[in-house]
Amino acid sequence: MWFYEKKLQYPAKVGRANLQMAKFLITQYGGPDGELAASMRYLTQRYTMPVPQAKGLLTDIGTEELAHLEIIATLVYKLMDGASVDEIKRAGLGAYYADHDKALYLVNGEGVPWTAAYIQSKGDPIADLHEDMAAEEKARATYEWLINLSDDPDLNDTLRFLRQREVVHFQRFGEALQIVQNYLDCKKVY
Amino acid sequence: MYEMNQNLRLARAYVPFQVFSQRWEPLEGLMKGTIFPELYFPYKRREY
Repeated sequence: MWFYEKKLQYPAKVGRANLQMAKFLITQYGGPDGELAASMRYLTQRYTMPVPQAKGLLTDIGTEELAHLEIIATLVYKLMDGASVDEIKRAGLGAYYADHDKALYLVNGEGVPWTAAYIQSKGDPIADLHEDMAAEEKARATYEWLINLSDDPDLNDTLRFLRQREVVHFQRFGEALQIVQNYLDCKKVY
Repeated sequence: MYEMNQNLRLARAYVPFQVFSQRWEPLEGLMKGTIFPELYFPYKRREY
């Protein structure tokens, strides 16, 4: 069960509307290393974790990724706010507009819709936790490339926050991996 | 550097456990993305 807090985890400010940046940023909404993929990966894998610490961690981080999804959605919405059809066409978002107007839709920067094929749920906790650590590093790298693409200090401030959370999550998954490895080692001995 | 630590097994990844030492105040932690100074690794923008 979840409780919803009617506020963002971190402020989502943009200096100005920027359609080009909206097109780049939407990959963190519905792209392969985006926040939905992260959340669904962790919330799906948690059932087959062998220790409560790992189950709890996947639940916590999977939940936080939903809060990040909401921040990304807010940013994309603001970056597209007030744009004319002409501006949308020029930014290469004409095809997106034809299908979605300025509504949020789960796609990557190229318009490819989100798919469960982005994530795995292996049933092997070691394999799953390695995927999770890789996912955090891929998301961290994506945020760095997005920061390189953006000249908006307000937007970059939020992207830096989200990037730092990926670093923290990597550490926590790494700790969970040690706990699970110890647990599996002990099970073999006794 | 390549000396084998007896506690480490081959073909296995290790991340050291974080040990609590110091923390920032909640507001500063929120602004930075972590309350733990030792976990804070900000990005330096790459200039091409």
